[in-house]
Amino acid sequence: MMEPLEVTIYFKTPIALGFPWIYLDSLLANLKVIEEQGERYFISPKVAPMETPEIPVKKWRDVYVSSVSIFEPSDVGFQVFQYFKKGDYPFPEGKIRKGSGFFKDFYLRVGYLPVRSIKFYCTCEKDEVERLLHKAPAIGKERNIGFGFIREVGVKETEYEWGLVKDGLAMRPIPVTYLEEYEDTAYLAYKPPYWMKENVALCAVPFTRVKL
Amino acid sequence: MCSTVYEGEVITDEWLKKWKEYFLACYDEGRVNEKVHEAIEFTTPYLDQSIVSVSGGKDSMVMLHMLAKRDLKVFHWDHGRWLVPREVEDEVLRNIAAVAPNCELIVRRYSLGESEMSRKVWTPWYKEFFGTLRSLGFRYHLLGVRADESHRRSVRGRVVRRKEWMEIYPIYYFTWRDVWAYIFKHNVPVPSVYFRYAKLVGWDKVRFVTFFDREFEKYGAPQIDSLLSWRWKNNP
Repeated sequence: MMEPLEVTIYFKTPIALGFPWIYLDSLLANLKVIEEQGERYFISPKVAPMETPEIPVKKWRDVYVSSVSIFEPSDVGFQVFQYFKKGDYPFPEGKIRKGSGFFKDFYLRVGYLPVRSIKFYCTCEKDEVERLLHKAPAIGKERNIGFGFIREVGVKETEYEWGLVKDGLAMRPIPVTYLEEYEDTAYLAYKPPYWMKENVALCAVPFTRVKL
Repeated sequence: MCSTVYEGEVITDEWLKKWKEYFLACYDEGRVNEKVHEAIEFTTPYLDQSIVSVSGGKDSMVMLHMLAKRDLKVFHWDHGRWLVPREVEDEVLRNIAAVAPNCELIVRRYSLGESEMSRKVWTPWYKEFFGTLRSLGFRYHLLGVRADESHRRSVRGRVVRRKEWMEIYPIYYFTWRDVWAYIFKHNVPVPSVYFRYAKLVGWDKVRFVTFFDREFEKYGAPQIDSLLSWRWKNNP
């Protein structure tokens, strides 16, 4: 049964990000895909295209009712972690990309937030969300060097549905075509997978005033 | 509400004031004035047959400001909207006009700059850029290169002979502190993105380069762009 929830993830280590927010629907979709696909998940999507799985989150039109991450404490600014990483594996012939992928081994910069926890609002199936989130040892970027390790996940019911809008503020990117009024816009992906260009639309920016 | 729209670190007047004080002290301690006189003296013999290349970044703006009293020909390369969002480009052009209002400004635009492809493929960029420089036909190109920037640049020397022109680096002996000191002392306008990035990566490491450019992936630049310039990621 879908119910309004407040999901809190407590961390052991700071969380590294590649974007100012983390999306709960994206996190759940990713965990679900890993669960369904197993080892096949790690094959490039270009080789083996994947379907976005059904996740236990309520939908409003084609937007999931789940907020972006709310960091606690909120006044912590981003920090940068810079490091050199060089592998001792033999290099293949020809051109290789060193900025990402297997040979990502040069000068790297990671933006991270030393926060204690992050909070999401969503309308989901409580048991299923708890079960999926307990499968994630860490979230965010650069987990391989220790960022974003989870200490505990707390899921509790809330009275109101705040996954889309709370106190008149958008809690996630919502396409402006679905809105009556909006304050600030940007081209953002609004549904998983968030890296897909097809999912980008002109959206209301999270934490700005909107009217559904 | 616990979170606000993230637009990079908040630049407060107090934060900027504190750094301004620091850099103004550096101006005297680092004898920047002497370096400026030396740089102008060194550059003067080349000025007649030269063009000043200005990206709009801090080094080239300092160089332009130092030389602006003379009749200059200034070259600016517009990378196109996918590599440099129009807001930033407009600011750069305004800054150049403010610093050197009497200069003859030559702007050339990268033909692939209107395509998202320009973020992924950079070989045509080099071909077109150097082709453009060649077509301009000047004997000397004045660039804001500094020895302090990398080992490679520090061993290159202040005058570099290329096939068809010579590169002259007026501010070659400036350190990053000298450059910021000069900017704060003389109120040289630089793109405002500098301050957002400086707060996160540091005044010594902040650079004005193309945004979301895979060429700079090996330095972690697109990762930082995703955090600080997320608005320009999908449609600049």
